[in-house]
Amino acid sequence: MDQAMRPQMMGARVSRVEDPRLLSGQARYLDDVDVPGMLEVAFVRSPHAAAEIVAMRLDKARQHPGVFAVMTYDDCPVMLWDRAEYDIGQPCLAHGEVTYVGQAVVAIIAENRYVAEDAAELVEIEYRPRTPVLDMREAILERPRRVHAETSNVFFHEEYATEGFSEAFDRAPHRLSATFRTNRQTAVSLEARGTAAMIDAASGRLTVYASTQSPHRMREDISNLLDIPEQLVRVIVPEVGGGFGMKANCYPEDIVVAKAALAYRKPVKWVSDRTESLLSDVHGRDDIHDVEVAFADDGKIIAIRDHLMADGGAYPAYPFSGAVGETSLAARVLTGPYDIAHLATVIDCTYSNKVPLGAYRGVWGPIASFIQEGLVERVARYLSLDPAQVRRRNMIRPDQFPYRNAAGMPYDEGSYLASLEDALKLIDYDGFRRRQQELRTQGRYLGLGISAFVEPTAMASSEAGSVGYESCTIRIEPSGRVTAALGLGPTGQGHETTMAQILADQLGVRFEDIVVLHGDTDSAPYGGGTGGSRSGPIGGGAALVAGRQMRQRLIKYAAHLLEAGEDDIELGHGEAWVAGVPDRSISIRTIAQTAYTDVKKIPPGLPIGLELTERYLPKRPVSFSNGTHIAEVEVDIQTGIVRVTRYVVVNDCGRLINPTIVEGQIHGGVAQGIGATLFEALHYDRDGQLTTTSLMDYLLPESTDVPRMVIKHIETPSSGEGGIKGMGEGSLIASPAAVANAISDALAPFGAMVDTLPVTPAMIRAMVS
Amino acid sequence: MPTEEARTAIELNVNGITHRLDVSPRWSLADVLRHQLGLTGTHVGCEQGVCGACTVWLDGLPVRSCLMFGVQAQGHQVTTVEGITPSTGLSPLQTAFQEHHALQCGFCTPGMLLTAQALLDRNPKAEEGEIRAALSGNLCRCTGYQFIVDAVLAARDAGRDA
Ligand code: FES
Ligand code: FES
Repeated sequence: MDQAMRPQMMGARVSRVEDPRLLSGQARYLDDVDVPGMLEVAFVRSPHAAAEIVAMRLDKARQHPGVFAVMTYDDCPVMLWDRAEYDIGQPCLAHGEVTYVGQAVVAIIAENRYVAEDAAELVEIEYRPRTPVLDMREAILERPRRVHAETSNVFFHEEYATEGFSEAFDRAPHRLSATFRTNRQTAVSLEARGTAAMIDAASGRLTVYASTQSPHRMREDISNLLDIPEQLVRVIVPEVGGGFGMKANCYPEDIVVAKAALAYRKPVKWVSDRTESLLSDVHGRDDIHDVEVAFADDGKIIAIRDHLMADGGAYPAYPFSGAVGETSLAARVLTGPYDIAHLATVIDCTYSNKVPLGAYRGVWGPIASFIQEGLVERVARYLSLDPAQVRRRNMIRPDQFPYRNAAGMPYDEGSYLASLEDALKLIDYDGFRRRQQELRTQGRYLGLGISAFVEPTAMASSEAGSVGYESCTIRIEPSGRVTAALGLGPTGQGHETTMAQILADQLGVRFEDIVVLHGDTDSAPYGGGTGGSRSGPIGGGAALVAGRQMRQRLIKYAAHLLEAGEDDIELGHGEAWVAGVPDRSISIRTIAQTAYTDVKKIPPGLPIGLELTERYLPKRPVSFSNGTHIAEVEVDIQTGIVRVTRYVVVNDCGRLINPTIVEGQIHGGVAQGIGATLFEALHYDRDGQLTTTSLMDYLLPESTDVPRMVIKHIETPSSGEGGIKGMGEGSLIASPAAVANAISDALAPFGAMVDTLPVTPAMIRAMVS
Repeated sequence: MPTEEARTAIELNVNGITHRLDVSPRWSLADVLRHQLGLTGTHVGCEQGVCGACTVWLDGLPVRSCLMFGVQAQGHQVTTVEGITPSTGLSPLQTAFQEHHALQCGFCTPGMLLTAQALLDRNPKAEEGEIRAALSGNLCRCTGYQFIVDAVLAARDAGRDA
């Protein structure tokens, strides 16, 4: 076997190079960026869901000691969206009207945040309230009114049906219908958003520190929206305390802060507090699905019809509308891991007077899985069949690959049936059923929920943008140490470690001798950032391709300098040697010195130095990971409280770069899924006030809410570079359906079926009475 | 126009060093530590007393530095993550966190370390249930807690063997 095909580091449980700085309190997040004279921003936000701005009185705020400037739309007349894609744009500061509670209206720039907040309270704005548009179904019918007078509420509409759908649906022996509802949730990265901008004294360029997943896109947006030549903008992403899709957007505040730094020639920083974060980070998951399913006597599903509706909020989030993302992708992957021939979908995305809907980890997936797995569960219960059996009957079989689903999505090979069977074994399915029966006689309600999932990853476009490729620059320094850079935007995924693992194998250097840079547009090659589970497969693919190119170059050097054939050269531990003759060796360090300083010895045809950039564009438009989650719950029917007691995951994301990191991602996604199913909901009252503006109202799962999980990996390689598939979202795609189905199963004696997320204790009490 | 905000002179003992500071009486302890002393290892995740990211020790016991004023810490010993980090390398608990992949974005980590270390100091035999209960006031959005619990268990066992 070719030596590079026998990786040492890829697949190993390497501990992370990021950790020491994070553990010792030395890491620098956005709010840790501090320079002399830095001013801080507080925003005055709309207290109304919908209102006309009649007058603004800013004098008191302007005169407040410590205030440097007060900005309104007139000082920063910038619209997100150029109106080309949608008929409306979002002003970075409200312009004449407000359209949701929390919308930024005025920016106060002061010597520190305390003073800025004092001054914010002195701003007087006179509003003339309008009737808010808050109900999704009504809004779709343009009731009670249009959110934006100049355009209809439905800003995205799409219809699709497989040929022969109606006949197949009508002829089916059985039909069921259900409405599924997911309530608004949001990412709640523990570090809230933030931006700092300043003019670099040496170069005169604008430097923007941004807590974002997409550094290059942020640079493009700032450059375009503020009309600054791109080469004069540098975006630096410091340590990011979580993103989960929510930090893939460019937000109004980012633009206002950059504008302030330019206009006032001062360093300016804004860091969101938690209330602002719940009021202004993009929301997700505000969807209703009216679904019908047609099936045969044996549980084989024949057709699914779905009217998908999403409440996109007051504006399409820039530059990725979560409403469009959640629905259009759900419509294409609604059949999940099942072979269902017929599908008909209608999508309606509407405006409302709520926070814009954007990306939250899994985007479409948690919703579509909840529906697809909910339907399977309903079919099984209707026919009195074992839900595991109904899944087996419908699952895509190994001989069907390459498979195209009813919406035309091309699936890669996976371990659909195998992951289901393994998960059933891990949870001891038959044993559980016996225990469940026994405990029911004692008035205890245990339930088990299966969720078989697919996760389309590494797509040509995602919330991270429409850059379908990733880039990797490798520079072997004259000392033989390696500096690599990628255009990714990690928010805790450990790319400095995983990318170095890949490169160490390819370059034959020690893992410790590699540093991976990212998040600085001055050093990182242009790339799409992190999002849509693309960094492993596409970023990792770029590292592989670039690493292989550099490896070839090192081999050419070694062959030339050792006077051997290229085929005989092996690399490892910082050395190159002739296969079978370890004495005939040369260090990578010596090769590097030759490449930079002893240039007469460079092999003919090779450039001076050891530096290159390679880009990797996967051949497939998408790569499908898959797996099965099974949750066990116990429901206390007196209190309505649900406890998740056991949890197993069988996960197949192709070749693993670092199993420990993959498991960490799975754990975190399952925890978020438990939150999504049991706790997390953003509530608007009848006036359009968001009532969940603290972490006392918006509840996150705690260490006592999340059970110990058992994980098994299956590796079905993709056809892409390294066989890697993405996996950042699958665990949150699968887990809400698993927990919801477990609750339905526990409450089967009451005929209950979960159709709304989250499932609150009050809802459970209603189901059992 | 600059502020004429009133300031109070205090003495603050942080990580064994006494600092003489002029602080605004309304500044939280977290803000004084972070923005006046440059100890940015203490993180602020909510300022609502919920997330635990701002946890520091006051006389050896975990407190939320977002919920108290800097001036209130006068006369107490404050310990931050910087203070539990050895001058070279990592503490046994920090090492266990790295070995068990107990952190992803790292934002909750300093608060987790201070809460967990205080627990182990108090109860070197803590069981998983007690560990989970002790950590339940520290939110982590990334890890799902399992590897954090594993790290604390490992540090506990290493401490026992030592
Ligand atoms: S910042 Fe203090 S508890 Fe969250
Ligand atoms: S590691 Fe990100 S919040 Fe805990």
